Amino acid sequence: MRLDVVLRYVGIVMLFIAAFLLLSAGISYFNNMDSAFYPLLLSALLTTLLGIFPLIFVERQEQLTTKEGFCIVVGAWLLACVVGTFPYLIWGGEFSLINAWFESVSGFTTTGATILNDIESLPRGLLFWRMSTTWIGGIGVVMFVLVILPSMGRNKLTLTNLELSSLARDNYRYRTQTIVRILLGVYVGLTAASMLLLKLAGMNWFDALSHAMSVCATSGFSTKNASIAYFNSPAIDWVLIFAMAAAGLHFGLIFATVTGRRNNLFRSEVARWYFGMLFLCGFLIAVSLFAADRYPAFSVAFREGLFQFVSLVTTVGFATADTNQWTSFAIVLLLFGSLVCACAGSTSGGLKINRLILSLKMIRARLSQQQHPNAIIRIRLDGAIQDREALHSVPVFIVTYLLLILIGTVFGTMLDVDLMTSFSASIASIGNVGPGFGAVGSMDNFSALPAAFKLSNSLLMLFGRLEIFGLIQLFFIKWWR
Amino acid sequence: MTGLHKRVTVGFLSIVCLLFFSGMVSFLELSHLSRDTGDILEANRRNISLAKEMLDAAHEQNVALIHYSVFGDRSYDSLCRASLLRLENTLSIAQQEAVDKSFLDSLAFATTELRLLTDSYLAFGGVEPHVEPDSVAVDRSETAGSRWYNDEYEALYVRLTAAIKNYMTSTQSSLAPRAEQMKKNAYRAVTPVLTSLVVMIAIVLMLYYFMSIYCVHPIVRMNKGLGDFLTFRIPFAVKGELKDEVLELKEKIDTLIALSKQTQF
Repeated sequence: MRLDVVLRYVGIVMLFIAAFLLLSAGISYFNNMDSAFYPLLLSALLTTLLGIFPLIFVERQEQLTTKEGFCIVVGAWLLACVVGTFPYLIWGGEFSLINAWFESVSGFTTTGATILNDIESLPRGLLFWRMSTTWIGGIGVVMFVLVILPSMGRNKLTLTNLELSSLARDNYRYRTQTIVRILLGVYVGLTAASMLLLKLAGMNWFDALSHAMSVCATSGFSTKNASIAYFNSPAIDWVLIFAMAAAGLHFGLIFATVTGRRNNLFRSEVARWYFGMLFLCGFLIAVSLFAADRYPAFSVAFREGLFQFVSLVTTVGFATADTNQWTSFAIVLLLFGSLVCACAGSTSGGLKINRLILSLKMIRARLSQQQHPNAIIRIRLDGAIQDREALHSVPVFIVTYLLLILIGTVFGTMLDVDLMTSFSASIASIGNVGPGFGAVGSMDNFSALPAAFKLSNSLLMLFGRLEIFGLIQLFFIKWWR
Repeated sequence: MTGLHKRVTVGFLSIVCLLFFSGMVSFLELSHLSRDTGDILEANRRNISLAKEMLDAAHEQNVALIHYSVFGDRSYDSLCRASLLRLENTLSIAQQEAVDKSFLDSLAFATTELRLLTDSYLAFGGVEPHVEPDSVAVDRSETAGSRWYNDEYEALYVRLTAAIKNYMTSTQSSLAPRAEQMKKNAYRAVTPVLTSLVVMIAIVLMLYYFMSIYCVHPIVRMNKGLGDFLTFRIPFAVKGELKDEVLELKEKIDTLIALSKQTQF
């Protein structure tokens, strides 16, 4: 493996991050040169130097190996999290070293969990940087490199294979370069549309942009301490429900639907399951809340229930209510949503609904096989026959995913964190959801948790973002041939 | 500037830039820190000085009034008025300079009360307005003066000095937010240097790595190969990616070896 080549491409990613740091410093400058200006400017300079240094020595390469592609993706993500801590650390306030690392990882992995008790006290420049981390993370740090560097030739495929979940990759029927353009186009388009709709619904431009960036990255970072509950506006709630639901869809499907192609949203089996789950669970939560007299009218209960369920399924994590106060049935459904999450090919994390559908079909196939031992049973998803490798990877992934949640929960309880908090925080972290229940509920944050638990959760976030095996491979890179 | 030279120069310039900018930010924050420290010390000194001036004036006025009322020494009239004026002037300065004027409200009220009481007492020549002087005025006025001092003045005097002390402690506690800001500035002066140090270590490690793979290793290999060639006459080829002057050197050595072969045959 050519480490110098890896460093060169990681360096290019650092330059993109530096550009966003500089943009945040610009916002800080125009906001009466608030207290975040120097921290952001210095961080931009440090990141630029880190990024530019390998470019001085290493020349452009036409070909990359799979191993090098993998190292670029994982290295860029980890280093992005490291440089993301710089402005927080230099600015100070609530950001200790652990807190700054947690906030940065939470941003770049689009988790949206926070350690901040008073978000509104942050200067605007730093708030924008916080949103930028999540937006950059949303599309994938390396995706930027793929789109913006047309000189990379066949390198694209190597990187994309690692960046996209294998299930997501199957749904794209275009060349890699086109895939990247589609992703970026849908992402930017969705952000712009969400921003305009949020502005029309009553937010100011800064909040509209910030929340649009957050919703499209399926992160859940907000500029307000009370998250979306601060705005207390049904119009904003509905705009966000639609924006979140759209952000949880396969980006290729959105593209196909908008451009009128055949394999569009209305023909997708996964999309039918996805919307069916959102509506059904949202409705059941609403019935449960209304029956328990939590809300005076069913329409309000439906809006609140749907908002919260969509927010957790899509791993956005915005909040309009304190879900700790909801019924046990509603909490169980919300936990289910946090586990399953949205569609592959979106920026959301979690198990992905595609794996849930395949698991159910595998159970059905197993039952049929027992009844008809000689039958050849094929499992299809969206009309495509799934090969043995794809099917084999589903239970392996689910078991590893659940095992990591178990380890996270046990570790939390070892540190004297209560079971509900420990369990839901582990689910929320590995699924890149953000809020959980207990001490990390929708109206709380991770600030009061032990430092070691914050670190373990930030590791879970990275596992979740890199589809578990992406990060595990890093520890076995020496044996990779 | 040639390739290798240019790369090394740019690499070192990057480190210099890094040090310069982190130093500048630290310098700026340290300047803020220094200015805030100076401001806090100055505010502290000024507060103590004003409070001392007010306490001195109040004490002087108290002594003068004791002489005037208890001992009947009318020459203390002017000193009494002058002390009170000094107290009021100092209070006025404190009010002008104070950031939070609420700390001075009770003090201003106590001073006004004292001024009204003293003025009314002095206006009647040391005799209470409602007391009629008679033939044994001296003895009775002395008794009345002591009684007036004990009953009416002393309580106000105690209240005034308490208000001055309260002003002193309150303004000291109002410096806490500024001290907190100072702590933040101190933190911000240190973290840029620490962060830059981490980045610099990363850059130096990268520089070491690049110099190793692009300069040191090829030169070591060429040196070994040349040594073997000179000893055993075995031609050699340097593997790996070579750049700039190192590549030129390798090509020249190849040419030399080729020339050497030609001369042999």
